[in-house]
Amino acid sequence: MNNYKKWLTAPGTLTLLVFAVAPLFIMLFYSFRNDSGVGFTLQNYVRFFEKSFYLKLTGRTVISSLTVTVISLLISYPLAYIMAKKLKGIRNIVLMLIIIPFFTNQLVRVYSWLIFLQDGGVLEEMLNVLGMAQDGLGILYTRTAVVISLVHIFFPYMVITIYIALERIDNALLEASKSLGASAVTTFFRVTLPMSWSGVVSGILLVFVPCLGCFVEPRILGGVDGMFIGNVIEDQFFEIYGWNFGAAIAFLLFAMVLVAMALIHRMGGEKQ
Amino acid sequence: MKNGALSKLYILGILLFLYTPIFVLMLMSFNESRYNTLPFVFSLKWYEALKDNTTLMTAMNNSLYIAFVTGICCVILGTLFVLGSQVISGKWKGLFSSMMVMPLSIPWLIMGLSLLLMIRAFQMDKNMFFVFAGHIIISLPYSVLVLQARIQALDSALDEASASLGANALTTFRRITLPMLAPAMVAGGFLSFMMSFDNFVISYFLIPAGITTLPIEIQSSIKFGFTPEINAVSTLIIGISLVCLAVVGAIMGSSLKSIFNGGKA
Repeated sequence: MNNYKKWLTAPGTLTLLVFAVAPLFIMLFYSFRNDSGVGFTLQNYVRFFEKSFYLKLTGRTVISSLTVTVISLLISYPLAYIMAKKLKGIRNIVLMLIIIPFFTNQLVRVYSWLIFLQDGGVLEEMLNVLGMAQDGLGILYTRTAVVISLVHIFFPYMVITIYIALERIDNALLEASKSLGASAVTTFFRVTLPMSWSGVVSGILLVFVPCLGCFVEPRILGGVDGMFIGNVIEDQFFEIYGWNFGAAIAFLLFAMVLVAMALIHRMGGEKQ
Repeated sequence: MKNGALSKLYILGILLFLYTPIFVLMLMSFNESRYNTLPFVFSLKWYEALKDNTTLMTAMNNSLYIAFVTGICCVILGTLFVLGSQVISGKWKGLFSSMMVMPLSIPWLIMGLSLLLMIRAFQMDKNMFFVFAGHIIISLPYSVLVLQARIQALDSALDEASASLGANALTTFRRITLPMLAPAMVAGGFLSFMMSFDNFVISYFLIPAGITTLPIEIQSSIKFGFTPEINAVSTLIIGISLVCLAVVGAIMGSSLKSIFNGGKA
């Protein structure tokens, strides 16, 4: 019986092997292909590392993704803490309110920022009413707009992973720390933070990694200065038809994702 | 007390940040102006225009169709997978499970274009088969996570009791396992449906020429100048997602958060 039953995993596993794992190898294969179509070459990779444009853009992508991650962490930790330790009755409602936008369309959310941030748009009107009048906000089509929208899209991940970690901490431990004479600050850094660290690490993973590979938000909100490395890949496939070169950059991005995941895991996500 | 008020104010601030842009967009779909600016004059004209916009209506139908097929496939594949992985142990179990959720941690850009390269490597034209394949691999993890959480909570003693009372494996499955998994199958199916319905990136890379989905229509209207009905469409899309989420939320309650934690409660 059990021998048959284990084969039930086959259809799902095969689907993933064929349509998720195998394509990555095909991408690797293309990245070594010569544009003339014969033989293999390192030229696609050499081209990437030769031009400072690509390296600079990669650098800016990493820095922007780090910025998004840090801002997300700074706003998420207090929120998760309040939810886990202070709220009683409305806790689950707040939790749902944080989760709902995650399941709304990515493009719609980006588009909503386009409307909101545009010059003469609603944000400008709101600031006018508050007396912080400024003709022409000038936020749209900058890197700032991209960072704002990425924080908006990804910080709920961080809130939830940290909240789950904080929820598990027994309040008696915090009281014990207090009654043994530790100040609030000491309790936070010696008890609360270490015990919720796994949530912080999973949150960082869930925010930083998707930011590295984003291209829709920079394209719509970023203007010329706000581009990410993903946009260069997109252009290679849709505008320039440099598929082999595009595959090489995509593979480098994939490698960056793997390295980032490994580094973040080493920060201690798995230890409890 | 003061502390509590401050906490609530902070939460309010975050929720404002989260909801204001979306709320403004929904408001603008009822606004007379075509430039998404104030003043606000109530009007339903964009919804009426939407009704007559055959491109958008076709795109809506396509999106619903793709998401429906994806949802069904994900429930079937996901259910089979979690049932099978019950009897697998040791390192294979870990390997299989982490492979199942792998598409969650790889940017969609990479998943989409590597599938595009696969189509190219086989010297095929873009086709619906690969659209479905792409949508399934990125939506399947959600079904699997929900189903896995449910099946772990089930008591295996029930299976044994059923067997010792003389039920064969098929009867046990039909009368015991399936009814207990059913809520998770519905929740997982709706989640996968929603992921597919909302997906832009995979469709962008794989959709054959001449076929369009709602997210693709939204993107091209942003790119090539505004179709004012887009606000109305976006509001409808948010509505559809909310309905799905309400179903999922009603079934899973606050355990919905476990999805963000790799299925661990």
